[in-house]
Amino acid sequence: MVDHDVALREVTKRFGDLAAVDGVSLDIERGQFLTLLGPSGCGKTTTLRMIGGFEFPDTGEIYLRGEPMGRRPPYRRDTSMVFQNYALFPHMDIAANIGYGLRERKVAKAEIARRVEGMLALVELPGLGGRRPKQLSGGQQQRVALARSLVIEPTVLLLDEPLGALDLKLRRQMQLELKRIQREVGITFIYVTHDQEEALTMSDRIAVMNRGRVEQYGSAEAIFERPATRFVADFMGASNILDAEVVDADAGSARIRVAGAALTVSEAGLRPGDRVALMVRPEKLRLTAATGPDGTMADGATGWDATVAARVYKGATMAYQLGLPGGHALVADVANAPGGARFEPDQPVRVALRPNDAVVIRG
Amino acid sequence: MATSTLGRRSAGTGAAPARRPPRGLPGWVAPVASIGVPVAVLVAFVLLPLVFVGVYSFYSLNEMSGLMQTDFWVGNYREVLSSDIYRRVLWRTFQIAGAATLLALVVAYPMAYALGALVDPRRQGVLVLLVIVPFWTSYIVRTFSWIGILQRDGFLQDALGWVPGLPTDLLYSRAAVLIGFVHVFLPLMILPIYASVRNLDRRLLEAAHDLGSPPWRTFLRVTLPLTLPGVVAGLVLFFIPCFGSFVTPQLLGGTGDLMMGNVIATQFGEAFNWPLGAALSIVMTLIVVVGLAIFFRFADVDQVYG
Repeated sequence: MVDHDVALREVTKRFGDLAAVDGVSLDIERGQFLTLLGPSGCGKTTTLRMIGGFEFPDTGEIYLRGEPMGRRPPYRRDTSMVFQNYALFPHMDIAANIGYGLRERKVAKAEIARRVEGMLALVELPGLGGRRPKQLSGGQQQRVALARSLVIEPTVLLLDEPLGALDLKLRRQMQLELKRIQREVGITFIYVTHDQEEALTMSDRIAVMNRGRVEQYGSAEAIFERPATRFVADFMGASNILDAEVVDADAGSARIRVAGAALTVSEAGLRPGDRVALMVRPEKLRLTAATGPDGTMADGATGWDATVAARVYKGATMAYQLGLPGGHALVADVANAPGGARFEPDQPVRVALRPNDAVVIRG
Repeated sequence: MATSTLGRRSAGTGAAPARRPPRGLPGWVAPVASIGVPVAVLVAFVLLPLVFVGVYSFYSLNEMSGLMQTDFWVGNYREVLSSDIYRRVLWRTFQIAGAATLLALVVAYPMAYALGALVDPRRQGVLVLLVIVPFWTSYIVRTFSWIGILQRDGFLQDALGWVPGLPTDLLYSRAAVLIGFVHVFLPLMILPIYASVRNLDRRLLEAAHDLGSPPWRTFLRVTLPLTLPGVVAGLVLFFIPCFGSFVTPQLLGGTGDLMMGNVIATQFGEAFNWPLGAALSIVMTLIVVVGLAIFFRFADVDQVYG
C-alpha cells in the first residue's frame, strides 16, 4: 500500500445553503507537491483550511498519516499553514517569529537559536533575525512565513496562495525556490492557487476543483494533455474546444463529426451516437494552402477547410484565427520557420490534425 | 485640519494657478481658523485657569482678616510638602485610584474583547453606543444612584441580603468608592481596549493556533501584547479622573476614604484658603504630568508595532 500522508474521504463542508466542498476524496502521497487548483469559490481554500483544522467537515473524514482528525484543533495537528498575507507577528522580531512554534514545543533556547539560524539560511535570509517584519519586503516576509512553518517539521505544509501578493518576476523566482525547498526538506506540500501556470511549474500532482468537487486529479502532464472534463480543458487554457458526435467506432479509433467535418481520432471505448467534446492544442494544428476536396492526407491526418480570419505575430510562432464552416472557430499556432509558409487574412486554408493529437473529452 | 484643507485645495485646482484661493476667501482665513480657534480655546479654558491657579498658589493669607494677599510666598508649598497629613492623603489617593483602575481593567478587558472580537461587526456599533450612553447622564446623578443601592436596607440588601457572608451594607466604605469609580469611568477603559481588539488581525490568532498555541497561550503571546497599547491608553485615561476626583469619595466614601480632591475642595470651599488649595492643585497636576512622562518613557507603546 502506498504511504499516504493525507487522505480525504467524502469530505463535505456547507456554508448555509452552499456546499463549499462537496464530497471530496483525495490521497496524497508522502513527500509530494500537490496543488489544489481552481477558480475562486471552487472550495480549494476551504479544503486546505479543513486539513489544517481551521474548519471542520460536516461529513466525511480527514486522515493525517492514517489517523482520523475529527474535530481536532490546529494546535493539536501536525500540519502547518503559510498564510496568504504571511500573518507574521508584528510585535516579535524575525528570529522570534520563526522560533515561535519551537518555543511552544518547549525546545531549549540554544537549540531554538540554532534551528532558527538554519532556517534563515535555508530561505536565504541570513543575518536578518533581529529585524521586525515591517522592515522586510513582501518577498522576504514570505520566506520568513515559510521558515516559521518549516522549522516545526510538520507532516504536511499547507500553502494558501502564498505568492498572490508578489509581483510577477518575484513570483516566478519564488516558485522555483519553493520547489527547491520542498525537495530539500522532503515534506508533503499542499498548495492552493488559481494560477494554472504556477500549478504546472511546481506540482507533482494537481487536483483541479470546481464547485466544491475535484474535477480531475493527476500529474501536471496528464491534466494538461488529457483533461477529463471540458471545465478542466478550459481552465488549463485550452483555446480549441469543439462539440462533437461519434459517428462510427471500432476497437482503437473512432470517426467523429465535428464542425462539419469527419475526423478520425485514436480513442477507445466510444460508441456511435456519443456526444463528446474535442480538444486540440493550437500548436498541434497544421496549416496548408487549400488543395483538393478530399479530406484525407498522406499521413492519415484529417481536417477542415477553413478561412484565415486574422493572424497575430507572437515571436516564435504565428497565431492564426480560423473560421470553420458553421460559425465555429479555431486557433492555430504555427512555428515561424525560415522559408515556412505564411497565410494571409481571408485566404482559404486546409487545417490538418493527426488522430493522436486530438483529445476526446467525455465529461 | 490645516494640512487637509491645503491638500484639498491643491488637489482641486490641479495645474491651474495654485496660489489663488477658492471661493474668494483671503488666503490667511483657513490657517487662522483651523489653527487659531483651537489654540484660542485651549488658552482660554486650559492654560489661563492653570496660570491663575499657579499665581494664587504663591499668595498668602492675612492672619488677622483671613483675606488673600497678593504677594509672593512659598509657604503654601512648604506646608504641602512637609505635612504628614497631605502625604498620607496623597498615598491614599494613589491607592484608591490605582485599585479602581486595576478593577476597571479586569472588568473592561473581557467586555472590550467580547465586543471587538466575538460580536458580529455589524452589531458592534449599537453595543458601543450602549457603552457610551451612560456618559450622557450626569456623573453626579449616577453616583447618587449608588447610594440607594449600597445603603443599609438598600436595593443590594433587598436583592442579595439572604446570601450568608455577603456584605451588602457598603455605603460609606472603600468598596463603595471603588464601585462608584469603576461604574462612572468604565467607558474610558473599554473604548481604547475595544479599538485595539478590533484592529487585531484574526489571521495572527490562526497562525498562533497553527504553530501549536492553545487558546490561552495564544492570548498571552499574541492577543495581549498586541492589545497592550489599548490597555495602556485605558489605564491612563481611567486613572487620571479618579486621581483628581472628589465627588465619588465625598458621596460614597467614609471619613477614611477622603482623597486629595476632597482636601483641595475643602480648602477652596470651606477653609477659604485659596492659596493653599491652589498649591495642592499645582502639586497634583505636576505629579500627573511627571508621572505620565515617566510612564510613557518606560511603557514604549511604539515598540509593539515595531
